[in-house]
Amino acid sequence: MAEVEWPWQYSFPPFFTIQVHNETRTKQIAAWRSLILDYHKITKHCILDTREAQRTALFNNTAIDRKLPLEGIVTILEDLARTGNAQPLDKQKHRWQIYWHTLEEWADLVYSWVQRCGMMNTVCTLYEITDGDNSADEEFHGLDTEIMVKILQTLEVSKKAELFDDNQGVKFF
Amino acid sequence: MGALFGKSKKQQSRVTEHDKAVLQLKQQRDEIKQYQKRIEKNLEKDKQLACKLLQAGKKERAKLLLRKKRFQEQILQRTDIQLENLEFLVHDLEFCQIEMQVINGLKVGNEALKKIHEVLNVEEVEKILDETREGVEKQQEIDDLLAGALTPEDEEAVEEELEQIIQAEMPDVPQEEPTQQDCFIETLLIQDI
Repeated sequence: MAEVEWPWQYSFPPFFTIQVHNETRTKQIAAWRSLILDYHKITKHCILDTREAQRTALFNNTAIDRKLPLEGIVTILEDLARTGNAQPLDKQKHRWQIYWHTLEEWADLVYSWVQRCGMMNTVCTLYEITDGDNSADEEFHGLDTEIMVKILQTLEVSKKAELFDDNQGVKFF
Repeated sequence: MGALFGKSKKQQSRVTEHDKAVLQLKQQRDEIKQYQKRIEKNLEKDKQLACKLLQAGKKERAKLLLRKKRFQEQILQRTDIQLENLEFLVHDLEFCQIEMQVINGLKVGNEALKKIHEVLNVEEVEKILDETREGVEKQQEIDDLLAGALTPEDEEAVEEELEQIIQAEMPDVPQEEPTQQDCFIETLLIQDI
């Protein structure tokens, strides 16, 4: 697993307090957004649990003894949700899915891969897409199945795919 | 193949029974692949464990482990054969579907051809050709009539003018004698003809 490259803000203590001043706050949230997305892209984790988030290195810089408060995390996550980069999984908004590509971007990636492999009009298992040998070099290799289902559902809307058998298989068109 | 059991959702599903069968086979294949991965992990672990046991001087236990490892390797080989069978079956099924598509394509093409032939029967073609010939003849007559409108004197004048233009366009006759090389090329040309 590749190491996360921390931005300079990460060692800057005020970064861990949500700023009051509007302009500063916008910049701060933008920095947090890209940090969160990069972090999840590199670690290939798609699920973030706000109850445990403060224990991860992402929100807790032990070197400067600072961590982002829970409200701050939720604020940023809600901002990410606004642009389609995150989605809460439960009503209490404890568990979040993080999309470093939005679902539409993912859908494009998957669909172009399908086209390249000549798998149009064929049936695929979801395992084949996320863990098969064919997709080993793709970014979605090893992606969470739940997210893959959502990606394929996005494709379903544009009639490029159809899921069947309890989301076990998919056919591309 | 491809029979839908009257499943009328909001919109017609494009997934056929055939696809479902293929999916099941592919799922089976995935399961076997996962199983193989598991066994491979086990093998690696057993090997390391056997090494450790040997170092600790527990030869009998190491031997037992190696026996287990050998057994698992055999299983792995057997699953490989099964995997191959499955893959073959999947390929056969998919190829059958493609063949079906080809036949369907041929059918459509054939029907289109038939329809075109219905329009183009032989009598019609003959009639059209006849009419075309008549038309051409008529045109020829008209051309003759028009050309005949010129008097023989006019024709002569035309010929003369043409002759003049040709004379003017012609290059001058070269003054010097043709060299030997020219003669050679000439003979070559003659031979070629």
